Amino acid sequence: MNDPANRAASGCPMSAASRQFEPFEHRGMYDFLASIREDVPIFHAEQIDYWVVTQRDDIEAIMPDSERFSAAIATQPIFPWPETVGALLKDRDFTNEAVQVACDPPRHTRVKGSATKFLNIRQFMGYEDRLRDLVRGYIEKMKGQETVDLVEAITYEFPAQVVFLLLGVTDFDPRKIKAWGDLRLHMIWGNPDEHDLVQGASDLADFWDYTVELVKARKHAPQDDYPSLLFEIRDGDDEILTENEIRSLVFGLLLAGHETTTNAAGNIILELMRHPDQWKAIVEDPGLAKNAVEEGLRYASSVVAWRRQTKEPVTIGGVDLPAGANLLLSLASANRDPAKFDAPDTFDITRSNAREHMAFGKGLHHCLGAPLARLELRILLEELSAAFPRMELAEDNMVFTRTLSFRGPSRLPVRLNEDR
Amino acid sequence: MVQLHFIQPDGTRTSIEAEPGRSVMEVVQSNGIAGIVAECGGSMACATCHAFIDEATIEKIGRSSDMEDEMLDFAATPRRDNSRLTCQVTVTDALEGAEIEIPAEQH
Repeated sequence: MNDPANRAASGCPMSAASRQFEPFEHRGMYDFLASIREDVPIFHAEQIDYWVVTQRDDIEAIMPDSERFSAAIATQPIFPWPETVGALLKDRDFTNEAVQVACDPPRHTRVKGSATKFLNIRQFMGYEDRLRDLVRGYIEKMKGQETVDLVEAITYEFPAQVVFLLLGVTDFDPRKIKAWGDLRLHMIWGNPDEHDLVQGASDLADFWDYTVELVKARKHAPQDDYPSLLFEIRDGDDEILTENEIRSLVFGLLLAGHETTTNAAGNIILELMRHPDQWKAIVEDPGLAKNAVEEGLRYASSVVAWRRQTKEPVTIGGVDLPAGANLLLSLASANRDPAKFDAPDTFDITRSNAREHMAFGKGLHHCLGAPLARLELRILLEELSAAFPRMELAEDNMVFTRTLSFRGPSRLPVRLNEDR
Repeated sequence: MVQLHFIQPDGTRTSIEAEPGRSVMEVVQSNGIAGIVAECGGSMACATCHAFIDEATIEKIGRSSDMEDEMLDFAATPRRDNSRLTCQVTVTDALEGAEIEIPAEQH
């Protein structure tokens, strides 16, 4: 357990932090970070062989620095996959490649130039009405029930449906995409056994096959969607974008476009339910929803840690590291650093600098979907607060997925308390 | 070097010497001038590096066009004729003495 109380018994705070850190355990994480942040800017996590960076200033300097820190490690499995998995994926022609999140310049810059022609605030805002209709549809189905699990009823599926809008998909089960996404997260950021991995690799290859077919269809019959626009930009020129890069971009969106938003929605609504006065404030003034989203992302980010690898010897927090050292940047810690935020462990939807959180990263790899996530989350709060103003938590016994980087409640049972 | 003047919403002025070739957004960020967020890092995806550039300079460097022009519709502070996204403005001699006004809101 990440129990700060155990710390007192040990001498060196850095080695104590190393011993106490449980990379896959989310309970107690924020208390642990608060207890060490000031004294321990960096420590080594033996279980995973990563250096955990805890202070905002350091993390803010490392993230945008692609000269000294590589992002290529960002989506590598924490625990390397056995050869059987690699062989199976190769056999199934799984040719997904790093194009954005786990890719350094110059390739990153080239591909991003094409991706942002679609993944930008202008394009996303064009979907606002359709997003609101989707949310209202889920809310209609919830009406009349006494108790509802919000994850099951809305936050699990809604972001996947939004991804389908971007991809022009109208005939696919969102639960299937969610299951594939959950699996991919578990394989890369979790601690799976070999049996899980071999089963997982086969499902992963199915997920890739689906992507390949989807992209192929858009190549031959373009629509008004992301893959079609990528083909238009490519214009047959591999120097701009290869077909496999397009497949990889779409495969990336099929994961990045919904998992983190599902978790962020769960985290934000959970905190609002835990702070009924702040929920009431949004009910009375929906204009507060926008900043509530930012405070939710700060206080309970759905991405709690992100990875980099040193490209040359560097010194972080007084520790000299060689080239090739693995870094785990604790975004959760950066978002609660008192050097940046007053009373950082207080949830306050009127916080004036809430938006300065690092939930979406910083610099060249700043999340391309951030404006879309913000839009989805704001609409969720606006519509839920209008439909169920007296909604409250039915139980507060949250279970979080056991992954290194992602955090969100797997269930969120609420009483709707509708007027009868 | 090219001299640029930045004016904050409260009227505070800051002048800096900028090296030609970089974007105004990059120059602002490396000189610690507040108010240009540039969340996407210069990819024209976020419209949070919006600024107003004085008319005389705009005449020389040109107004926003195409994608930048469309993106400016989503700037948090309403755009004006002299609006630009600073990630798309390169420091050149044409910017000598430019007065660059930082908007009140970027998001």
